[in-house]
Amino acid sequence: MDLNRIVAQSLRVGVLFSAVLSLLGLSLWAFGGFGSVSVPAVLSVGVILRLASAGDLTGIVYLGVIVLIATPIFRVAISSIYFAAERDGAYAGITILVLGMLLLALYSGAAG
Amino acid sequence: MLVVTPFEVFSIFLMSILAGLIGAVFGLGGGILIIPFLTLVEGVPVPYAVGASIISVVATSSASAATYVQDRLTNLRLGMFLEVGTVLGAITGAFVAAFLDPAILLVLFGILLIYASATMIVGPRIDFPSGVVPDKTAQRLRLGSEYFDPATGTTSRYEVTNTLRTLGISGISGIVSGLLGVGGGIISVPTMNLLSKVPMKVASATSNFMIGVTAAASSSVYFVRGDVQPLLVAPLMVGVVIGAAVGTRLLRRTPPLKVKLLFAILLITISIAMILKGFFPQIVL
Repeated sequence: MDLNRIVAQSLRVGVLFSAVLSLLGLSLWAFGGFGSVSVPAVLSVGVILRLASAGDLTGIVYLGVIVLIATPIFRVAISSIYFAAERDGAYAGITILVLGMLLLALYSGAAG
Repeated sequence: MLVVTPFEVFSIFLMSILAGLIGAVFGLGGGILIIPFLTLVEGVPVPYAVGASIISVVATSSASAATYVQDRLTNLRLGMFLEVGTVLGAITGAFVAAFLDPAILLVLFGILLIYASATMIVGPRIDFPSGVVPDKTAQRLRLGSEYFDPATGTTSRYEVTNTLRTLGISGISGIVSGLLGVGGGIISVPTMNLLSKVPMKVASATSNFMIGVTAAASSSVYFVRGDVQPLLVAPLMVGVVIGAAVGTRLLRRTPPLKVKLLFAILLITISIAMILKGFFPQIVL
């Protein structure tokens, strides 16, 4: 399969999914009478998933944010697999380096 | 806690359609419109404005990049190579921002906008560079490519040069992105075009492609830090996707001079307001 198509499709799916979740969150807010919204003090994927499945506005919008941030990261991961399969050492190396920095940002953000 | 009214959410939504459209057409993330709107018009504290903006920048650029990548306008290899610089810069910028006074960030933002408007008004651009000799790095990484321009109906071949200097400037554009919550396209588009000699439309498309990853790097730092407010980011994520969908259809025809000039005048006005806000934080328009 062609890299252009894979990249384009994965970006499109990720962005649409996060936009739909945002819209869902906003509709919940409207139906709930536009109340004030609280943000959990501790953020983790587990907490967000639990809030989202309970129909909480913050949980649903944050799930959209996670999907959105994951979209380009996924795009880089897919590209490195593609280049590795093509035996293109230089680009496999470049994309793995970028992927490593992205994961480090997630990790260090979570740690700090 | 941040109190957000339905009217504010709706106005953020409307403005983000414009930001998505402009971002898609000019190869930007749209942050240069979102940050001033949130801080000056809505009175949102700077860290929350930056946190919301950087997330929407991921949405704008990923939405428009999907279309450009499919049209084969994007130079995937060049984009992935330059991302090494932008991502490193973005992470650095996002961490440094936490230690800076918001007033300093506002003044820096104003300066960035003045630079952006100057680029828009007097900045030279090369639509179709010719006679470009690729440098050693570009040859080794096979950065030269070709693209189909729907406006002229022809496929053109182009080469890439000054690769390592462009990588260095990409690092700076990444720092600006992480620090100020923008995509950095206002720096990377002219750099790719004028220094690397990449055709203008390819530079815009490749910039959008890179910005998604750049902004994702700093977004994760801001998100985990708790600077992303759900009611600010939700209307942005929906609006910019609509705006980008319209904008990608417009890039096929190059923006006429008048649009660029109006945009530049808008940026100058905003930049003056931002610098004033930096010195007099109580101002809300």
